[in-house]
Formats: sequence, C-alpha cells, structure tokens
Amino acid sequence: MTPSERIIRTLDGLSVDRVPVMCAGMEDSTSFEVLGKPLIPPSLLAKNTVMNWIMDKGWKVNSRLLRKTIWNSYLNHIRAAVKLGFDAMWVLSGCETLLIDSKTIATINGMYYSLIEDAYGNADYMYRGPAFTSRQAFKEWPYFEKPVDFADKIFTFFKKAVKLYGNDICIIGQAAFGMHESIVGAFGFDKAPIWVRKEKELIRQYVDWIASLELAGSMAMMDAGVKVVLQGDDFAHKTGPTFSPKISEELFGANYRRLTKTVHDRGGRIILHTCGENTLLFDMFMSWGFDGFHAYEPTSNVDIFKEKNLHGDKVTIIGNVGVDYLLTERSKDEEVKAEVKRLIEGLAPGGRYIVAPAHSLNLIPAHKFKVMIDAAHEFGKYTGKEA
Amino acid sequence: MKESLVAVKKAVEELDIDGVTVLVENCLNEGISPLEIISDGIAAGLATVGKLFEEGEYFLADLVMAGECVNEAMPLIRSKMDPNDAGRKGKVVLATVRGDIHEIGKNIVGMLLGANGFEVVDLGVDVSADKIVNAVRDSGAKLVGLSVLLSTMVGAIKEVVDGLTKAGLAAKVAIGGACTSQKLCEEMGAHAYGENAVQAVRIFEDLRNA
Repeated sequence: MTPSERIIRTLDGLSVDRVPVMCAGMEDSTSFEVLGKPLIPPSLLAKNTVMNWIMDKGWKVNSRLLRKTIWNSYLNHIRAAVKLGFDAMWVLSGCETLLIDSKTIATINGMYYSLIEDAYGNADYMYRGPAFTSRQAFKEWPYFEKPVDFADKIFTFFKKAVKLYGNDICIIGQAAFGMHESIVGAFGFDKAPIWVRKEKELIRQYVDWIASLELAGSMAMMDAGVKVVLQGDDFAHKTGPTFSPKISEELFGANYRRLTKTVHDRGGRIILHTCGENTLLFDMFMSWGFDGFHAYEPTSNVDIFKEKNLHGDKVTIIGNVGVDYLLTERSKDEEVKAEVKRLIEGLAPGGRYIVAPAHSLNLIPAHKFKVMIDAAHEFGKYTGKEA
Repeated sequence: MKESLVAVKKAVEELDIDGVTVLVENCLNEGISPLEIISDGIAAGLATVGKLFEEGEYFLADLVMAGECVNEAMPLIRSKMDPNDAGRKGKVVLATVRGDIHEIGKNIVGMLLGANGFEVVDLGVDVSADKIVNAVRDSGAKLVGLSVLLSTMVGAIKEVVDGLTKAGLAAKVAIGGACTSQKLCEEMGAHAYGENAVQAVRIFEDLRNA
C-alpha cells in the first residue's frame, strides 16, 4: 500500500494496513536537523547587507526572490518528512507571500508580517498586523491578485513537489488561506467583528475573492497531481468558536460547499484544518462536505474521543498529538509513545484516524517526530477485522 | 437602579458600540458618579456578556465587541473621574511574553480588569522578562498577567517567575493564552491559570485576597 493509497483509503473509511501518520507542516529547524543545515541558510541571506539592499528595491523583484527561497525550503521540508517516514504532509506553496522590504512580508489577502529569527537563528516571520485598517486601505490595496495568475504559480510549485516526492509521500496541498482566518488577520483580530457587523457588502466581496483564489488554487494543485487538498482555516480559539455558527454559515457556508463539491467532482479529497475548540461547529463543517478534520488541539477543550463517537463513522479524524509539550524537548520519549498508543486505542477502531501533530511548530525536535511515527507503526497495525 | 444606568448596562450587553457613549453622557448629565456608571452600567453589562460567553450564547467576536463598547465609553468616564478612584483594587501588570505578539486575549483581560476596579499597567506585546520585572518593581504591582499563544515561548513564563523571585518581588503571576494549561502553570511556577479572558477578574480578585 503506498502512502497516498493509505491516506485516501483512510479518508474514505476503507480498510488499510495501519494507521497512517501525517506531518502537519514542518519548519526549517526540524528539516535542518534531518537533512543538515545548508551552507547558506535563509537567515544568513536575510542578514546580508547586499541582500538587504536588494530586498529594499521593490516588492515585485523581491517576491520572486522570496518565492524561490520559500519553494526550496518547502521542498526540503517534504524531503525531511519522507526521510522521517511520514505517510503524508500538509504542504503550502507560499505563493500568497510578498517580500515588501528587508523587514516586511505581506500576504496578498492583507496581512503584514515581520521577518524575524526564531530561537535557533533560523529565518521566520511573525504576524505584525492587518493591512485593512480602513475602507480606503482596503480599496487601495495593491496586491489583490487574479485567481488565474495565482493558480499558475501554485501549479508550478506543486508540479515540482509531486514529481520529486509524490511517490514517497501523500502531498496534502493547501493553495492559500482560509476565508475565516483571512478576515480576522486582514481586518485585525480586535476589529474583524465590527467589520463583519457593519461592512457586510465589503466583507462578502472579500470572502468571495478569497474563495475564488482557493478554488482556482485547489484545481491547479489537482492538475499538478495532488490528490488531497487541505483548507487551513482556524474557526475557533481555546474554548470555542470566534463567530457564532450562524454567522460562520452565512459568511462561509456557500463558498465552502462549492469548494468541497468541486474537489470531489474532480476525484479529490478535502480536509479542513481548524485550531481550537470547534465542537459547536463540527456538524456545520460536515454539512459543508469535508472528508476529514485536522487539529483537535489538546490545549483546547475539544474532546477528540467524543468527536470520534459522534462523527467518526462519517469523517476522518486527524491530529491531537500536542505541540505544546509532547513534541517538544521538554517531554520524555515514553510520554510521546504512551500518548500515541492512547490515541490509537481510542480512535483507530473502525478506521478513519490519522496520527498527526495538532500543528506545525518550529522547535519540534526531529527525534520526537520519529518517536511519534515509530509508536504509530508499533500500535497502529490493523489485523483486517477492525476497519 | 436609574433608567439611564440600565440603558448603559443594556448597551454593553447588546454590544451597541455606536450608542453607548451618548448613554454614558446622559448618566453624567443626571449627576450619576463615574464610579457608579462603571460598576452598575459598564461592569454590570460586561458581567452579563461574560455569563453569556460562558454559557455559549456569546462568542469571542461578541467579547471583542463588548470590549469596543467599553473602549468607546471609558475615555468620557475617566475624564470625569477622581484619579484616586481608579485602580482601587490594586495594580495588575499585563504583558504578552517575549517573542509573542498576540494581544487580543490580553486586551480583553485588560478591559475587564479596568472595568472592575483594577489599575492595568499594559506593557504590550513581545515584552522581555526584565521589562516585566522592572514594571512590577516601579509600579508596586502585586499581580502580573502573562499572555502566551505560541508554544515555543512558554519558557518566557518561567523567566518572569524566576526574575520576580530573584528581584525579591512577591507578585503573583497568572497565565492565559492558547498554549497554556493548568499543567503548564504548575510546570512554570506560576500561581494561576485562566482558561478564558472572562475568568480573569475572579482569578485576580482571588490572587489579591490570597
């Protein structure tokens, strides 16, 4: 059974040889640990005076430069995931990212980020704030992109990724960004609810544009050979949804239904990643047509075992291995192993469970990934009766 | 309770950002004291919002809207307030820890504490342990609230706890944020953990009285 077959059959609720393991994204620090640090890591480029001079020359040149760097980096992350033994990997393309200057990244959907170094001195970026601080700022945003242009870039990246690693790992592609989290990030965490209430038409226009990018990008990924698409869209925080289910349905329901239907019509599968406590939203997400849900963050109040009982026969549950403690330097290997065993015992019967970290994190030691994967292999074998 | 005060309370409960300031002005024109407007209008309205949030009727977006209501109303109330009345329950130093810039939870906590009689010294985001320790020393605060969203930055909590101990400051530290838990609170040597912003007032009142 190939990794892609294992993942797709699990998403379809069919029998598989063992519980698959998905990598929920990887960061440079982990891939450097697996593959070795490159001679010229991105962080060195970001600090170089000449590079900084070039980076301050204008976003069009910069963004091509950034895209090349990101693509190399993301391809290395896939390579590291293959080497570690993952069955699948959530892969982004970075096509939505623009390098504005040597200190600033923007995403085309209206968020600013600062270029920083992580705790290991690797290049990273951190959310700085929203671009749409007024109607005028929204109207004058120069980076809105046509879906067709966006899809071209997506296709180029995923074609390469599938060609290099498609046989070794199931590439679960994400085109751009979720509709919900785009509103929150682009209009500001503290102002988004006000925009949603007072600027209904503008928000509708914005959501429809994001949805069209996502749709075009997803089709481009599938044209490139990607079989499983993922939508990363954080609908909830630690104790519950950000917006009420009613508002979420009104704002996003129709577009998500269209997206899942289109992916299915093309023979693909589609997963929703959403952080936080989504218990109140899962029925709605199911009605939108997703094949699987990922995250089930252990630091939120979501109860993955209850969800298994409620929805586990109709949808595939993915995740719940904590990145807050378990997959960090602070945990013991035995704790990781015991937790994977506990999850598999509770969630694998009947199929439709994929072991995965609840999130990507830039300080996950490769060794902890390996312990998680080995434990999934050890405890996740199906005898043929279960699934 | 006077009708105009009930109207302020209702405006906060119903998240009426555009109407709340005028209603506060009506109260002031009627001679109602700023403290009364805060306690029986703003804080009472926020208490209902918090209750509805905990009961699952209101969502995070509604808490944010309630916060905006308070932000709209407070400048006018403060301008009429006796400076000695502010912060009668003591000072709380609030910060999002080093390396983390998420502030929505911290801001909601700050707003709730301010409306409930605490003086909030908000240091903002990405704040080093040294800066927090200095702020506690300089302000004389006995309470510290740390917000952490990023799992990678949880070690910064310990830095603050250790920094306070080293400086001989007896301030109590409460933590909250996406990656936090009671277990983490114990691991880092903090004194209290809040699952959501609404719990903050009770937590800091308990710590203050402990």
